[in-house]
Amino acid sequence: MDTLLFNLIWLIPLFTVLVCAPIPGAKAKLIKGIHGVSATLVLLLVAYLTYRLYTLSGTPANEAAAPLLLQFFTDIPWIAALNAHYMVGADGLNMFLLLLTAVIVWAGVFVSWEIKGNQKVFFALIQMLATSVYGVFMSMDLVLFFVFYEMEALCMYLMIAGYGSGRKDYGGKKLTLTLAFGSSMILATLFGLYFESGIHSWSIMELSKITIPMDFQMWAFPLMFMGFAVSSSLFPFHFWSPDGHASAPTAVSMLAAGVMMKMGAYGCLRIAMFLMPEAAKIWLPWVVAFLIFNVVLGPFIALRHKDLKYITAYSSISHLGLIFLGLAAITPVGLRGAALQMISHGFLTGLFFATIGMIYERTHTRDITQMGGIMRKMPFLGVGFVIAGFAGLGLPGFSGFVAESTIFIGAFGQESTLTRIVTILAILSITTTAVYILQTANRMLHGNMPAKYETLTDGCFREKLIIVVLVACLLLIGIFPGWISNMLDQSIAPIFAKISAATAPVNGIGG
Amino acid sequence: MSYIPNYIIPDLLLLILPFLVIGSRLFVKDNSKIPWRIANIGLVLIFALLNFIPLAGGSRFFINNWNVSDFGILMREVLVLSAILGVWLSKDYFNHGGDGKPAMNQIAEFIGTIAFATFGGITVISACDLLTFFLGLEIATIPMYALTAWNKRDQLGSEAATKYILMGSVATAFELFGFSYLYGFAGTIRFDAIQTAASNPNPLLWIAILFLFCGIGFKLTLFPFYTWAPDVYEGAPTPVTAVLSVTSKATAIAFLVMLVYGPLAPVREQIAPLIALLAGVTLFVGNLGALKQSRLRRFMAYSSIAQAGYIMIALLGDSAMAKTAIIYYLFVYALSNYLAFFVFGIIGHHREESFDSLRGLSKQNVSLAVALAVAMFSLAGIPPLAGFFGKFHLFFSGASTGHYGIVVFAVLNNVLALYYYLQVIKSAWADEADEHLTPLRMTRRQRWVIVLLTVAVILIGILPFLSNNVFAGFTF
Repeated sequence: MDTLLFNLIWLIPLFTVLVCAPIPGAKAKLIKGIHGVSATLVLLLVAYLTYRLYTLSGTPANEAAAPLLLQFFTDIPWIAALNAHYMVGADGLNMFLLLLTAVIVWAGVFVSWEIKGNQKVFFALIQMLATSVYGVFMSMDLVLFFVFYEMEALCMYLMIAGYGSGRKDYGGKKLTLTLAFGSSMILATLFGLYFESGIHSWSIMELSKITIPMDFQMWAFPLMFMGFAVSSSLFPFHFWSPDGHASAPTAVSMLAAGVMMKMGAYGCLRIAMFLMPEAAKIWLPWVVAFLIFNVVLGPFIALRHKDLKYITAYSSISHLGLIFLGLAAITPVGLRGAALQMISHGFLTGLFFATIGMIYERTHTRDITQMGGIMRKMPFLGVGFVIAGFAGLGLPGFSGFVAESTIFIGAFGQESTLTRIVTILAILSITTTAVYILQTANRMLHGNMPAKYETLTDGCFREKLIIVVLVACLLLIGIFPGWISNMLDQSIAPIFAKISAATAPVNGIGG
Repeated sequence: MSYIPNYIIPDLLLLILPFLVIGSRLFVKDNSKIPWRIANIGLVLIFALLNFIPLAGGSRFFINNWNVSDFGILMREVLVLSAILGVWLSKDYFNHGGDGKPAMNQIAEFIGTIAFATFGGITVISACDLLTFFLGLEIATIPMYALTAWNKRDQLGSEAATKYILMGSVATAFELFGFSYLYGFAGTIRFDAIQTAASNPNPLLWIAILFLFCGIGFKLTLFPFYTWAPDVYEGAPTPVTAVLSVTSKATAIAFLVMLVYGPLAPVREQIAPLIALLAGVTLFVGNLGALKQSRLRRFMAYSSIAQAGYIMIALLGDSAMAKTAIIYYLFVYALSNYLAFFVFGIIGHHREESFDSLRGLSKQNVSLAVALAVAMFSLAGIPPLAGFFGKFHLFFSGASTGHYGIVVFAVLNNVLALYYYLQVIKSAWADEADEHLTPLRMTRRQRWVIVLLTVAVILIGILPFLSNNVFAGFTF
């Protein structure tokens, strides 16, 4: 029963699109209602399944799911000519990412309630995007994973080009093409994994049982890692994200920064590092060197920007850098911190973009030098923004503190000097984060209010509800991190065991 | 002949059909609907009959000279499907023209000529010797010359046809020259005998292969023989461009498959670098050429050049993988391409066929904009659309023999390709509408075909039973 419900997670959004297809676009209220109900339904469903997984946690559903302790495991042959399977399952890691996605999709649907343009198509595209993200986190078969992974490009471009603002075609193309560049690297290495492994299987579980030939790993790991890093905007592939976010409609920014950028980090952990641990040990120290840009320079760039979305985008880049710091440390604590940060940052940046979108709808500008005194007219939205900012700089009580401190502890546990130096730099860079957050909040929320803002109103009930739910999630993780990190630990344990058991050959290549 | 096996019936019907369609003109007027109906019923019947021939029969030899293989049956389906869609697409061009050109006339002869070209393609896949092979190729090509110049009052069309005939004849000469060397090398024109002889290759064989690839390079628009394609695609009437891009390409690729996995099978390993090189360069120049186009059909020409490069990658795999990949790809390519041409056709009936005419399409006619996006994303190979699975099959086949270099190159090129497909989608989705653009109207047939093709392109890839059933009993 639970397994069936689990499969419904990605089917419900798709089904909603089909149901709405014959309804004429003029009946926008009905269509929006259906989408709202569907998003709420999925959210409740995922919450229930998370609870079920909590009660079952630590046990695999059956023999085939054993290497990853998966529950709700389904395996059906799919495309015979390609030997592809429909294979999905959940452990703590992807279940929480699914929960994050469900919350962000729910918030995204309601935040776009008043979007201009053809609403029928827009909501259909949001649901397609949701399907693709759910699918990525659920799939345990590499073909299925890739189909969902690349599906995002299709929806993203149409949503940005059709409903965005500013240089929407430029931003949309930059985002879509850069992501496509990343996924093309992944595709090429997937073929290699299938044929070079010698077992001709796309299953993550099957592939994890064997050792992939070392000379293949040595070139495939960096390619695949790079491919995933593109979507997580790791330096030097970060350039798409500020322009993309700036031109995207609010819901797309929320989904892109909140969830899709986690898909890359998730793929790095679940596929690249898990299946090619030997090469991971050799290459990951190099990744740490690149992180200096993300973690240290990202906040400085945010400091210089005047556009709210650019500031948030660079702040996301620095937070995502921390995820990779946790991954590259290859310690159990570091990996747990990385997973926590994926989830925490998802809620955090969702809240950020949601409030920015709501403020922008009223002020019609995102330039902080043009704004001022917003707190007087929109106290609720202003407080939401400040909470997002404080959670982002790691204020204890919010999820950011839990995730970031775990990463720092984990990364410092790694004995390499480089990692420790980068960790110290990362900790210091929190100061810079504090500076730009406070500076932005100060300029925007306080000071002189332009006369034209006199008529502006605070958030309506719908908008307040979105903010309350997102803040609640941040607080929940921040105050009770125990249960979530327990479940994450259980699902990360097999991945860490596989990586730590891998013995990298002394000469690097050839072993 | 006392006994006609049932697997030969569709071929015979297809041979009779053009005579019936054109012959009906003796009894009816030019504007009669009867020839069009005969062609429709005939082609759909043939398509249905082809589906009833059970696969898993391997090769069936009819009077020892006509080979109906499983691959052949599926290729027939591709070709007949292309003919059906081509006929449907062309109908409206006889009522009120398109792309600023006057309406065409003589629909019966037009449809008959398409059927002839289809029969030519079928002859190529049924050939057992070089002579039939060559005949098939010519039967498939010569009707195309005529079709290109169908609009007699259009100068651009005549120019395109002249260019096409000149280039095509040179290609044929190359082809024939290659055949003569192949005959000189093996001393026979039978495929099976040539295959045996090719186990001991000598320089004569390499020369033959070189000329054969040159010749087929023209028809498949491989580098460096692709230059005619943009002009011909631009000059020909729109439905002819569509037929050209599917039927003619399918015939040419079938020709290559027949050669590479037939007579040349023993030397396949040695010519793999040549295939990889041709594939890589072709898809690269195709993609580069498409970047800067502003006319829709010129753009489709470069896009189809690039697609030819992608198809070549499949030929690096072994027989079963390559044939599965190519059949699958041709099916989805035909559907996506025709979907694009149907949308362009509707645009072209009212406006010029250029990117500017697409501006603001998503605001004026959102269903057409969705269909266009589906077609473009499918051609670009974005999941979950069928085009992605088509390309996946091709790369899968190429990677199966360890040619990762070309696969990496091709997937990177896919990003380049995505850029120009996005250009089309951008015009329709991001640009603001021009007020002076004429509004679009669709006939009922056009609307139904577009819905059908859109649904097919979305579903074929993700619904497994469609392809699984086809390939389950497939022997190569």
